[in-house]
Amino acid sequence: MDYLYDGSFEGVLTAIYYNYYEEKAEGIYHKDRYQFSLATNSKFLKSDPQLAAKVYTAVEQKISNEALRQIYYVYLSNHPNKENLILRYLELAFKLGAKINSYYTHPAVLPVLKTAKQVSFEAHRFFGLLRFAEARNCLYAALEPDNNIIILLADHFADRLAKENFIIHDKRRNIAVVYNRKEWFLADLPKDVKIDFTDDEAFYQQLWQSYFQHIGIDSRKNTKLQTQFVPHRYRKNLVEFNY
Amino acid sequence: MDTLEKLAVLADAAKYDVSCASSGVNKKNKGGIGNSKAYGICHTWSQDGRCISLLKILLTNYCIYNCSYCVNRNQNDIQRAHLTPKEVADLTIQFYRRNYIEGLFLSSAVEHNPNHTMENILHTLQILRNNYHFYGYIHVKVIPGTDPALIHKIGLLADRMSVNIEQPSEQSLRLLAPQKRLQAILTPMQQINTEILINSEERRKYRRVRKFVPAGQSTQMIIGASKDSDFTILKATETLYKQFALKRVYFSAYIPINDGPNLPALTTAPPLLREHRLYQADWLLRFYKFQAEEILSPKYPNLDIEFDPKISWALRNIHLFPLEINKASYEELLRIPGVGLISAHRILSQRRIAPVSYEHLGKMGVVLKRAKYFLTCQGRYYGEIPSEPSLIRQRLAPAPQATQLTLF
Repeated sequence: MDYLYDGSFEGVLTAIYYNYYEEKAEGIYHKDRYQFSLATNSKFLKSDPQLAAKVYTAVEQKISNEALRQIYYVYLSNHPNKENLILRYLELAFKLGAKINSYYTHPAVLPVLKTAKQVSFEAHRFFGLLRFAEARNCLYAALEPDNNIIILLADHFADRLAKENFIIHDKRRNIAVVYNRKEWFLADLPKDVKIDFTDDEAFYQQLWQSYFQHIGIDSRKNTKLQTQFVPHRYRKNLVEFNY
Repeated sequence: MDTLEKLAVLADAAKYDVSCASSGVNKKNKGGIGNSKAYGICHTWSQDGRCISLLKILLTNYCIYNCSYCVNRNQNDIQRAHLTPKEVADLTIQFYRRNYIEGLFLSSAVEHNPNHTMENILHTLQILRNNYHFYGYIHVKVIPGTDPALIHKIGLLADRMSVNIEQPSEQSLRLLAPQKRLQAILTPMQQINTEILINSEERRKYRRVRKFVPAGQSTQMIIGASKDSDFTILKATETLYKQFALKRVYFSAYIPINDGPNLPALTTAPPLLREHRLYQADWLLRFYKFQAEEILSPKYPNLDIEFDPKISWALRNIHLFPLEINKASYEELLRIPGVGLISAHRILSQRRIAPVSYEHLGKMGVVLKRAKYFLTCQGRYYGEIPSEPSLIRQRLAPAPQATQLTLF
């Protein structure tokens, strides 16, 4: 049986529950990306918070917090087959328990750890590469990350910029983290949203661009190294690369 | 001069300082702006490939000193500028809010005397910490000759402090910076180290003691302006780590900016590869449990430019290899070229459950191209050639640069 879910993390966990308590899952797929075939049966599962919570605590208690974090990060990734990576990993992990990650090279483990690492690495990168601009009533930052990471950025910036209102806008997925000096939440935000920036903003951007030019040492020039750290696909939203 | 020009001048004057790390301390925002993560965060990378984490800037580049290697020495005819403490603090906050930076790296040339300069630096930190409630990262450069009481006050506000050792030996220092004395450099270093130790002891006993330089101290030395060997440099580095518990010793390849009788010619290219090899050796000291004397000795005073220091060491000590990957201790695994801290850890972790095969090693991140000559896996050697230094050297030597053949 192929289980189809609605794209939420709860949905994936619900499917995992069905895999154990209903019919075994051949695979788990996003309902909008599933290719129907005559050979396999498929069934759409509505996300069930209670069933999802059961799986969630089971992972936490019978495997480890670490494993829970790994599968959540995989869920946030853009891996085309991520649901099934999670399924295969959990099937093995429920048998082996907390020592699962010691089987580093196992074909059900390695892709999960690698994908989770990519996601956490990209999130870490954007702790640095995110750029806010001062709008009339908040700070606004746009980014186009490979993975769905803005939720991983939220706590970090909510602590750091506790007394600011801010929006972190994932323009690729049309979603945003919105913080109002008390708490943050996720919201839908269209790609072409109009932002009204303050008059000072251009001045500070110019200062930063000039600083960026002057801090580099000409006789050590190494743009290949620079590209390794700041890939071209990220540069569109970086002030210092657009002047 | 407007702010834009001043920033340009003072960034230009600060860029030869190497450190830009924002690591070593975890801090939460306690009702103001900013926090800090022990792993450090890089915000961008300049065209030389160096990370930009902090706003690295001098308060002024007017200088009474005339150190021959320095771009800001007083005989140089360059643009000079000042920033006031308030200007630096405002700039830091505005950049920080926009997430351009992780904090401030404040240094300065010496306009009148060390105390005058350090008082301005203290003032900047007071504005940032006390008026703006800034909890981000601050690294302060200490000028030798500063009053210890002043250093103490700054240390309570800064996260990291550094005193530049400048040169790896006393002779080179005398030759290139005749107004500076080694003793004057080591004195504040010693003071900071002692105060950090006392502070951590006090913090163990009492809860409300203010932290003193919680991210520790670092230093930097210039490579290639003097004739010191790599052995001298590495020994000095090791001594600094042991004696002053430094977090980092930075090396900076000398970039000829000035002409002088004791300096390399202006046309000399900066020794970037040498600097890279020294950093690799520094990593061996800090993370791989090597001693300086294992890596170099009076007999081999300089690092091999073609090979990294771990391979050079392994080739000189080939009698210790090959090591069986399923039996070697953690310390031994770390000595195998191509095995790093993380892959050694993964090997150990899997070994507790199942033997590690050669195929596994690649997946675990071991660089087999180098490692295969120095290990066996379940008893088998995969090197293809005898484990013989001259042969391995041939295989691992960098490919010769391709040159265009001429037709005639």
